Amino acid sequence: MSETFTKSMARNIYLGGSVFFILLFLALSFDTLGALPKRDNRHNITPQVALGKKVWEENNCLGCHTLLGEGAYFAPELGNVYTRFGGSKEAIMGFIASRPVDGIPGRRSMPQFNLSNEELEAVAEFLKYTSEINTANWPPNIQG
Amino acid sequence: MQYSSQAVAKPYFIAAIGLFVGQILFGLILGAQYVIGDFLFPEIPFNVARMVHTNLLIVWLLFGFMGAAYYLVPEEAERELYSPKLAIALFWIFLVAGALTIVGYLAVPYATLAAVTGNDLLPTMGREFLEQPTITKIGIVVVALAFLFNIGMTIISGRKTVVNIVLLTGLTGLAVLFLFAFYNPVNLVLDKMFWWWVVHLWVEGVWELIMAAILAFVLIRLTGVDREVIEKWLYVIIAMALITGIIGTGHHYYWIGTPEYWQWWGSIFSALEPIPFFMMTVFAFNVVNRRRKEHPNKAATLWALGCAVMAFLGAGVWGFLHTLAPVNFYTHGSQITAAHGHMAFYGAYVLVVITMISYAWPHLQHNAPAANGRAQLLEMWSFWLMTISMVFITLFLTGAGILQVYLQRVSDTPLPFMVVQDKIALFYWMRLYAGLAFFIGLCLYVYSFFAKGKESLASS
Amino acid sequence: MDTLAQHDNDSLPGDFAIWIFIFAELLVFGVFFLAYAFSRANNVELFNESQMQLDRIAGAANTLVLITSSYFVVRAVAAIRTGNSTRCVHWLLAAIAMGGVFLVIKLFEFGDKFSAGISLSTNTFFMFYLSLTFFHFMHVILGMVILAAVLFKARSGGYSAQEHTGVETGASYWHMVDLVWLILFPLVYVIH
Repeated sequence: MSETFTKSMARNIYLGGSVFFILLFLALSFDTLGALPKRDNRHNITPQVALGKKVWEENNCLGCHTLLGEGAYFAPELGNVYTRFGGSKEAIMGFIASRPVDGIPGRRSMPQFNLSNEELEAVAEFLKYTSEINTANWPPNIQG
Repeated sequence: MQYSSQAVAKPYFIAAIGLFVGQILFGLILGAQYVIGDFLFPEIPFNVARMVHTNLLIVWLLFGFMGAAYYLVPEEAERELYSPKLAIALFWIFLVAGALTIVGYLAVPYATLAAVTGNDLLPTMGREFLEQPTITKIGIVVVALAFLFNIGMTIISGRKTVVNIVLLTGLTGLAVLFLFAFYNPVNLVLDKMFWWWVVHLWVEGVWELIMAAILAFVLIRLTGVDREVIEKWLYVIIAMALITGIIGTGHHYYWIGTPEYWQWWGSIFSALEPIPFFMMTVFAFNVVNRRRKEHPNKAATLWALGCAVMAFLGAGVWGFLHTLAPVNFYTHGSQITAAHGHMAFYGAYVLVVITMISYAWPHLQHNAPAANGRAQLLEMWSFWLMTISMVFITLFLTGAGILQVYLQRVSDTPLPFMVVQDKIALFYWMRLYAGLAFFIGLCLYVYSFFAKGKESLASS
Repeated sequence: MDTLAQHDNDSLPGDFAIWIFIFAELLVFGVFFLAYAFSRANNVELFNESQMQLDRIAGAANTLVLITSSYFVVRAVAAIRTGNSTRCVHWLLAAIAMGGVFLVIKLFEFGDKFSAGISLSTNTFFMFYLSLTFFHFMHVILGMVILAAVLFKARSGGYSAQEHTGVETGASYWHMVDLVWLILFPLVYVIH
């Protein structure tokens, strides 16, 4: 090839290009932070929701389920479970509390986490809060 | 081996392969649990096995990256490692911390582990891939900083090559971005948004720098092609990777509560993400075809070319399949994602670490440029067995994913998740068999290290 | 270096590496423009209506500004081809100044939109308008940085009639930035 192709120019493009796109990404992220209050349902975050998120995390729920499509694909999506269960926190609490300790022969089964009533309520409240986040209409239908 | 301190890479490589075996064993457990729901229940529930599977992957790849750095940095910098003792100390700290964490996952319920390790003080646990107790995370940061110090001091006072500089920026980025693992707000959208700063900017950002640097190092050694040429293209390829990959983060911001313009930004930039992988493949084959010498380590060349091709297929093609927002609307969080994840990680990162091990091991173990013919043959068989198995794992998961998406999300009468899972069980069975074949390939790979050949080694 | 390159009409001016970058950038803008066209086809009314709120005078002025600056860059390359570093520096300075004018006009335009409460999340048209123009805005800044780097090297006598790849490299990038605007302006501001 008769063109000039120097290492220093290649380096400049690597450095310049990276800085350019990092700055662009930061600018977009900044705009996103400004736009989030209208979408992320933050006004419904209560101490109970905070506790629910903690219970959610400390039992590694994401190790089987997805939440807003992220997590493991072994068990149902829970971002919309509150709506799927007919807007009933009691239904969610009842489901979690009633899991058999030894599972169901031959079938997938959720473990029995022995949550207190307070924790059960908090998780349900957390899932209700999650279901009210504006997710651009995802999932496509109630089945998640 | 030109510098005696390169030998510290050896325990790192051994640990990497050992943990790799563990990762695959737990992968098999998960594969079985997909079809035999109560397999090992309640002793090892799915979420625990999965956590072990993914965390072992991350840890062994980190061991591999660190080993690769300890091996190649002195050779590139043309000086001994700044502190081999520190490298060995860090090895044991990292191994013990990693082992304790895995034992913790398996021995007690996760909630107990969280309580014992003081998750209350700084809650960071329970998020995908970042399940490690906060104290382990702090340990990772400490090890990473000390490691960077060791490598950085070696590079600064030695010859500064492009390979070293790119590797160092990649490793620094890895450490810096990991700090976002400590940011865990109650606001789920913010949590998820910055969680991707660790996960996406790792695997589709700084890790690509590490991968490209390692690949460049091995190709320079194996082919004897002019370093200037390889380094120029290294810069161009990683520039493309970052140009597309940084804004490409947007493809994770479609449905998690972030503004909808990300659907455009994410789709446009991530549609271009296959380009750097394609360039890498073309480049690797070009360099090998224009080689100026016949290196006796044929196996390493095979791993290197395989790495470039599989990274393109897994990250490039399978990534593109579901990256456009209108498609992702239906595929998000389905088995399609799992298919892509498996092949991309195998192609880009598993294979690059094995490439490095394959190149370095004969030097480390036998003080020779290549293992004996029989060992190389076994290595190559293991390459084909593992790679073809991974292709099938990916294809079966893709099949499962397409059916899942149709039955659960597209059809006029969408079915519940668990009903759909039963209907696509055949694909999960086939995936499990492909996984067993992969495991046989892995066993063959481990065995290749012990294979004795007829010809004597050309020791120097 | 390769002095033949300048006389060889088949080869690209400047460093080959910048052409890979230019190619990548054009690809991004190209896909973005296609996305715009596709989106517009589905929302013609919204796009036409929102488009009325744009300041076409400012857009047209900026088009002239960028074309002029591109002309200055051409003169800078011509100057260095005859070995005249001083003149090259002057033309580059003029080109950068025109880039500055572009930025100022654009900032007024952005300020106008922001004070009207328009953001990326307003509607699809303004998403595209702000994304494309801001993305291009950043390119103008990058182009100015590149031209400034070339200017400083030219001022210290770093280029000659024989070897001035750097000037051509910077010029190529600047023309790309100009070219993108020449498509962007009619597409987003004018076409109804």
